[in-house]
Amino acid sequence: MIFLSVRGLTRRFGGLTAVDAVSFDVHEGSIKAVIGPNGAGKSTLFNLITGFDRADEGSVMFDGASLVGRRPDAIVRAGLARTFQNTELFEDLTALDNVRIAADLGHPGGFLRSAIRFRLAPGERDGAARAVHLLRLAGIDGFADTPARDLPHGTRRLLEIARALATAPRLMLLDEPAAGLNGAETRTLIDALYRIRDEGVTLVVVEHDMGLVMEVAEEIVVLDRGAKIAEGPPLLIQKDRAVIEAYLGEECGDDGC
Amino acid sequence: MSGVKGSRTLMTPHLALIAAAVAVAAVPLLTPDRYVLKVLVYVGVNVIVIAGLALLFGHAGQISMGHAAFVGIGAYTSAYLVKTLGAPWLVGAIAATMLAAAGGLVLALPALRLRGHYLAMATLGFNEIMYVVFREARAVTGGNDGLGGIPYPEVAGLRIDTPVGVYLLVWGVALLTLLLVTNILRSRPGRAMRALHATENGALACGIDTVGLKIRTFALSAALAGLAGALYAHGVGFISPTTFGLDQSVIYVAIVVVGGAGSLAGPVLAAVALTLLPYADALVPGLTKETIAVMQDWEADIYGLAMIAVVIFAPAGIGGLLRRASARRAGEVRG
Repeated sequence: MIFLSVRGLTRRFGGLTAVDAVSFDVHEGSIKAVIGPNGAGKSTLFNLITGFDRADEGSVMFDGASLVGRRPDAIVRAGLARTFQNTELFEDLTALDNVRIAADLGHPGGFLRSAIRFRLAPGERDGAARAVHLLRLAGIDGFADTPARDLPHGTRRLLEIARALATAPRLMLLDEPAAGLNGAETRTLIDALYRIRDEGVTLVVVEHDMGLVMEVAEEIVVLDRGAKIAEGPPLLIQKDRAVIEAYLGEECGDDGC
Repeated sequence: MSGVKGSRTLMTPHLALIAAAVAVAAVPLLTPDRYVLKVLVYVGVNVIVIAGLALLFGHAGQISMGHAAFVGIGAYTSAYLVKTLGAPWLVGAIAATMLAAAGGLVLALPALRLRGHYLAMATLGFNEIMYVVFREARAVTGGNDGLGGIPYPEVAGLRIDTPVGVYLLVWGVALLTLLLVTNILRSRPGRAMRALHATENGALACGIDTVGLKIRTFALSAALAGLAGALYAHGVGFISPTTFGLDQSVIYVAIVVVGGAGSLAGPVLAAVALTLLPYADALVPGLTKETIAVMQDWEADIYGLAMIAVVIFAPAGIGGLLRRASARRAGEVRG
């Protein structure tokens, strides 16, 4: 079943077309990767899908509903969560509280209801328990009481994934989750990605780490200068002439590389 | 583990509130002095304003240089309704709160687009506009001469016209305000405010409706300022535009900075200390008139120095010092 459907998505910044009529589908329960050289438009594409930026043209359908024109927080509440290339954590708060804030999504609690109470609402306890559970799922529960700004780089990336998971998403967009991770951390991340997928969350990953992409992705979309130049399973993408040229420049002529 | 933590973090501020309530109740028993009680009414009014501003500025990170204007809106609304139109005090106080909240909604609109210095400028402009309205709308406000003879508060046929009565009313409302604000800060909306303050993109990624949050927080914060204004007008009996000028708004912001962002106890303590400063003779016996006159003349400079000292030596303010002290105590207990 097609879960996310992107059609003709275009974003222009002045004379530059950062995303140029990109179309692709994501099937429910799959892991899809978006790759491309620096400046190919990957992050802009993510921002368009998640409502952090407005597309000039094109459509995004998620589980049968259009996401165009909706606010980022509304898109998260619809079940599409994301992480950022440069982590956007709540630096002063502990790892637990970072996840806790996102876990609040599933619990009621407006101003009035919060103001007039004399003991903790049941939702307050559930939220805290859920946050602990998600830190464990991400394998970082040992850091629960550490402020985000004091966390090692790899842990920060996993924390942002745990925080996105706390919104109970059905689809997650991860923007370069392995950037800056060492080999062992990348291994932990890959295991976490499989666990998350197995819990029923569909994944779309922007990533530079080709080893990770080739291992986890069932399908790959390749962008170059804003446009989609290839789409398919990893083995085909690795042999795709246009892809090789995009990554290696003009060195590959008609007579091969 | 988290359950223990949750109950501890909720208990501490509630215990502090109970201690504060005992202290508030003890004052009239210790001294019947009119001057002391009047000064403490000013303090109580400011505590209510600061609780609202600590929510908006200290926690949600949205600066308002216009809070004195909301106090003014509340004060003039209630004074006009009760004194000129003969409405019951409770109606005046509720109308004051709601009109100030409406003003907060208006001021929330620029907050949706502006940040930091630009939001400060926009709210500052709002205060200046309202200041001109307070001065020029003479039919309602009495202009520069002010509005005097505002009736004492009256609740359910009971006229609160003694210094002790006014003091207890103002501080009763102040303590109730602190309880409600504490509860909000310890729940979902409070966490959402801290998230918004830390990174708006991060807050959006958590599904937080930042637009609604800003609007509600501005409205609630302004409503509390309006309520404080209504208490001030009827408790003191006289209001004039200078009380609601930009310099007062700056003092409110200074109090929250000295008190510390992300804290409620810090700004409340700062509000008490800095409001008492020019009236120190009410509490400290033996201060000469000259000393007090000097302190009142240099009031703004003393606030300025306090703010600079905090920014340099204790950027997290009084709240940060309190947190550090309680962390040290917890460490001693454990070790």
